[in-house]
Amino acid sequence: MSAIALPPGGLRQRLRSWWLARHPATDTWTLNQHNIYILPTKSGWAFGLTLLVMLVSSINYQLNLGYVLTFLLSGSGLVSIYLTHGTLRGLTLHLRPAAPVFAGEPALLEVVMSNPGSARHGVGLRWQDRARSQHNAWCDIPALGQASASLSVVPATRGWHALPTLVVETRFPFGLFRAWTHWRPASAVLVYPKPEQPMLPLPPVQSAPGGAAQAHPGQGSELDGVRAWRRDDGLRLVVWKKAARSGQLVSRETTAENSRELWLDWQAAAGAGLADVEAGLSRLAAWLLAAERQGLVYGLRLGGQQFAPDRGNAHQRRLLRELALWK
Amino acid sequence: MEMSPFKLLHRAWPGWRHLPRDSRDTLFLLCVIGWTILPHLAHLAPWCMALAALMLFWRAQLALNNSPLPSRWAVAAVLLVAAALTLWSERTLLGKEAGVTMLVVLMSLKTLELRARRDAMVVFFLGFFLVLTNFLYSQSLATAAAMLLSVWGLLTALVLAHMPVGKPALRHAGGVAARAALLGTPLMVTLFLLFPRIGPLWGVPQDAAGKTGLSGSMQMGAMAEIANDDTIAFRIRFDGRTPPPEAMYFRGPVLTRFDGREWTRQTYSGPQVSRPRGELLLLGQPLRYQMTLEPSRLALLPLLELTPDRADAAPQLESIAAWQRSDLQWQTDRPVTERLRFEASAWLLHRHGPRQMTLGLRDHVALPPDHNPRTLEWAAALRRQPDLAQADPRTLVAAVLDHLRRGDYVYTLEPGSYGKNAVDEFWLDRKLGFCEHFAASMVVVLRALDVPSRVVTGYQGTDPSAVDGYYIVRQSNAHAWVEYWQPGEGWVRVDPTATVSPDRVVRGTALVPRPGLMAGALGSVSPQLLARVRSALEAANNRWNQWVMNYSRGQQFRLLERLGVSAPTWQDLAVALISLLCAGSLAAAGWALWDRHRQDPWQRLQQRVRKRLLQLKVPVQPHDPPRTRARRVREHLGPAGEPLAQSLEALDRSRYAKPGRPGFARGWWKGFAESAAQAGRR
Repeated sequence: MSAIALPPGGLRQRLRSWWLARHPATDTWTLNQHNIYILPTKSGWAFGLTLLVMLVSSINYQLNLGYVLTFLLSGSGLVSIYLTHGTLRGLTLHLRPAAPVFAGEPALLEVVMSNPGSARHGVGLRWQDRARSQHNAWCDIPALGQASASLSVVPATRGWHALPTLVVETRFPFGLFRAWTHWRPASAVLVYPKPEQPMLPLPPVQSAPGGAAQAHPGQGSELDGVRAWRRDDGLRLVVWKKAARSGQLVSRETTAENSRELWLDWQAAAGAGLADVEAGLSRLAAWLLAAERQGLVYGLRLGGQQFAPDRGNAHQRRLLRELALWK
Repeated sequence: MEMSPFKLLHRAWPGWRHLPRDSRDTLFLLCVIGWTILPHLAHLAPWCMALAALMLFWRAQLALNNSPLPSRWAVAAVLLVAAALTLWSERTLLGKEAGVTMLVVLMSLKTLELRARRDAMVVFFLGFFLVLTNFLYSQSLATAAAMLLSVWGLLTALVLAHMPVGKPALRHAGGVAARAALLGTPLMVTLFLLFPRIGPLWGVPQDAAGKTGLSGSMQMGAMAEIANDDTIAFRIRFDGRTPPPEAMYFRGPVLTRFDGREWTRQTYSGPQVSRPRGELLLLGQPLRYQMTLEPSRLALLPLLELTPDRADAAPQLESIAAWQRSDLQWQTDRPVTERLRFEASAWLLHRHGPRQMTLGLRDHVALPPDHNPRTLEWAAALRRQPDLAQADPRTLVAAVLDHLRRGDYVYTLEPGSYGKNAVDEFWLDRKLGFCEHFAASMVVVLRALDVPSRVVTGYQGTDPSAVDGYYIVRQSNAHAWVEYWQPGEGWVRVDPTATVSPDRVVRGTALVPRPGLMAGALGSVSPQLLARVRSALEAANNRWNQWVMNYSRGQQFRLLERLGVSAPTWQDLAVALISLLCAGSLAAAGWALWDRHRQDPWQRLQQRVRKRLLQLKVPVQPHDPPRTRARRVREHLGPAGEPLAQSLEALDRSRYAKPGRPGFARGWWKGFAESAAQAGRR
C-alpha cells in the first residue's frame, strides 16, 4: 500500500499517519478482517478472462455443459476468496526477540505463527521491501498448532535497527487471489560494530594491581582451584573428571584469571593510525572477541567511560553493546 | 469411475511414492491433461493425437529423469510444424476443428515449457478450455463424468502448485479442490438455473451443418461422411402401438432442383404462402408421438410422415416458431440450438399433392442439359418399349424398380467418388451406392421419362429396441427417398434403396460402415452384452438429457412461473439472478460482520468456564490457565469440587499436549457442566 506513489504535501502526510495508525508497531500481530487485504492476482484476472471466453463459447455453441463448467469454475473461483482470506484470518504472529549481530552479518528473525483453527497452507513471509527479500519464506501451519519461519536482514551499520515492515501473504488454494497483511514489528535488533578484518594484534597484557605475572595470554591453565560453574564458563573450563564424580558442574580457576588483565583502550585503538570512529570501534570489537576467545580478563576504556575488567559472555556482550551504542 | 486412483497407481507402481515432489506433480498434471485430451481421439486428425501423445510422453520422461526442458526454439519449431499440419489437414486455422486441433497441440507443447508459475497457470487455463471443447462433440453423461474428473484433477494440480512447502499428499490437495468446488456448487446451480439462455451471439453453426444429413442440399457422395456419425438425432415415443420401422419416415428437406451436381430445395415458401385446401387427405387413425429433438442447428423439424399443420396434430413449441412448407416439410424460424421436446400426431396413411396436372409440377421434370446423356438415352430406350410407351407413372416406376432389382446394383457405404456425369456412372457402369445415389439417379431417370418426381431427405427407421420407451434415431439413420406424382393420387413415396437393400429399410438398420478391427472383435465376442450395456447407458443418458441437458429457456420460464412470476421474460430472469446474487453477497457481508467479533474458540471456552466458576463463587481471573483454576476450585470448594478440578486439569493437559495430538475434545464442556452442577448442589 505504501508503495503507491502518493501526492506530496498534506494529503500524503495524512495518508501516512492513517496508515501508521492502522498498523501499530507490535511484536504480536493477530490477523483479522481489519488488517487482511485481498485482491485478485494477475492469474486471477486471466482466469476471469478465460471464464468469459468459455461463457461466450457456451452461448455460441449452446452448450449446457459448457454453462455448467463455466459456472462451476466461477463458483470455485469466488469461493477461493473466502478460502484465501481464511488462510490468514485468525493467525497470530509473534516475533521472537532477535539476537544481536555484527554489522554486515545477517540477523535471523524468527516469526512464530499460531493457528487457532484448521490447518493453513502456503503462508509466505517476506520483507515489504522487495530489495531485501526476493523470495518468500513459506510455511504450513498445522491445525491448532504453531509453525515458525525465519527471515534475515543484513544491517550495514551498528546501533539499534528498527525492523522493516513485514508482509505475510498467501495465494492458497488457487492463486487467483492474494491475501496479505502488513506488519510493523515493534522490536529492534541491536547491531555491534563489524569486527576489523584482519585484526591487529592485541595490545600487551598488563599486570593487575595485585599480581606480578607475565603476559602469557591464553596459557592460564595451571589448576589453582575449582569453583562452581557459572553460566558464562566455556566448556574448556569445566573440570569434567570432578564433575563426573560429584555430579555438579565445576570450573577451574586459573591464576591468570586473577592476575592478568587486558585493557582495551579507545585511545590505543584509534591511535594506531586510525582517524575514523567506526574503524576504531571495529578494531575494539575485534579485540574484544579475541580477548574473550583467549580467556583473558579484559576491560574497556571508551572515551570518558571505563568498564572494569572481567571475562565471560555476559561481560563481552555488555561491552559490545557499549561499542554498538557509543555516541 | 475411479474411486481411488492413487491406490490403484500405488499398486501398479510402488515407486510412485518415492518420486521427488516436482516430478510427481508434473506427472500428475500430465495424466490429467492426457485424460482430458483422450476423448478427442475420436474426431481429431491422427497426427494431432500422435503429436500430443509424443509430447506428453517426452515431458513425462524428462520429469522422471529430472532432465532439463528443451529450448524454446525446439518448442517453437514443433509449433510451426503443427500449425502447418493443421492447415494441411483442416485447410484452415480458424473454425472449430482447426481450433480444437491447435488447442490440443498448444496444450501438449506448453507442458514442455513449464518453467515459472505463470507457465503453470497458462496450462491450467488452457486445460479448462480444453475440457469445454469436449462438450462441442458430446454432452453425454459419460462425457460429463469424465470431464468432472478432469476439472477435479486440474483444480488439484492448481492447489498443489500453491502448496510450496514439503510434499503435500495428492489426496489432501484433492480434498481442498473438492471442497472449493462443493462450496461453489450453490452458485453454479443458481447461475445455471437463472442465467438467461440467449441465442448464439454470432453465426457459428456453419461447422455443425455438415454433421447432419439434412442440410437442405445434396451432392452424391456427401452423405458418406455421416454414416460414421452415431450421435443421436432425436428420440421418439409412441402412445399406443409402435409402427413397424419400415413405415417410419421422418421428413426433412424436399429437393427439387438439380443443376447436374447438386440437389437443392425450391425457393423459400413461408407460412404466408397458402396451400390449396383439399390437397392433403388423412386416412385412418392418428398416431400420437412424443419427440425429443437434439440441437441440430438446422431450421427444421424432422417429423414423422405425415404430421399435418392442424391444431390437434401440430407440435406445440414455446421457444421457436414452426410451420409446414408446401412440400410438407416442417420449417422453423431459426436453427434449433436447444433440445426440443414436444408431442404431435401423424397419419401414416395419407395422400398429398395435386390430383390433377398443374403448372407447378413442370418444375419436377426439369433436368439440366449436358448432363448424364447416357442415362437420358437409357430412359428414352425404356420408354420406347411397346408396353411402356403409354404407361402411367406407376407402371414406369415399377419398371425402373424392376431394373434396379435385376441390375446387380450393390448397396455400399463406400462407393468411391463419382465424376461430372455421376448418374451415368452409377446407373450404367459402377452400380455401387447408397440411398442418395439410388434416390438421385431414380429421380433423374423418372424425369427423363417425364414423370414428375423429387428427392426427399430425412431419417428412416430407429434403433431396433426402445430404451425407456423411447426409440432412438441416430444421424446414421439419415436417408433419401423418392416421391413421384401419380395423376389422381398426388405424390407417392417410393424407396429405391429398399429394392436393393431391403434390410436397410425393413429393419431400419442405420448406415453402418465396415467395423474397424477393434470394434469388430468386441462385437463378435458378445453382441448381446454390448447391446445391453449400451441400452442401459442410453437409458441413463436419456434421463440426463431430459432433466439436465434439456434445460432451456422454456424451463427457465416455467421455473419462474412456479415461483409466482406471471408471463416471465428474460429480463425477469436477469432480475431474479441479480437479486439472488445480491442476497448472497449481503449474507456473506453479514457473516463477515459477525465473524469480526468472533473469538478464538479456546478463548470463548475459557470465558464460559470462568462465568460458570464465578457462579460457584470460585474467584478466577480471565487470564488464569485451567490448572490455576483447578487449584482455586480445590481451595474454595474442597473435596466437593474434586471432579470439577480434575476436569479442568484434563482440559489443561489436552491443550498443552504435544503437537500432533488432538486438541481439547469437543465433548469436554458437557462433562464439565455436569461436574459443576454436582458441585453446586452440595
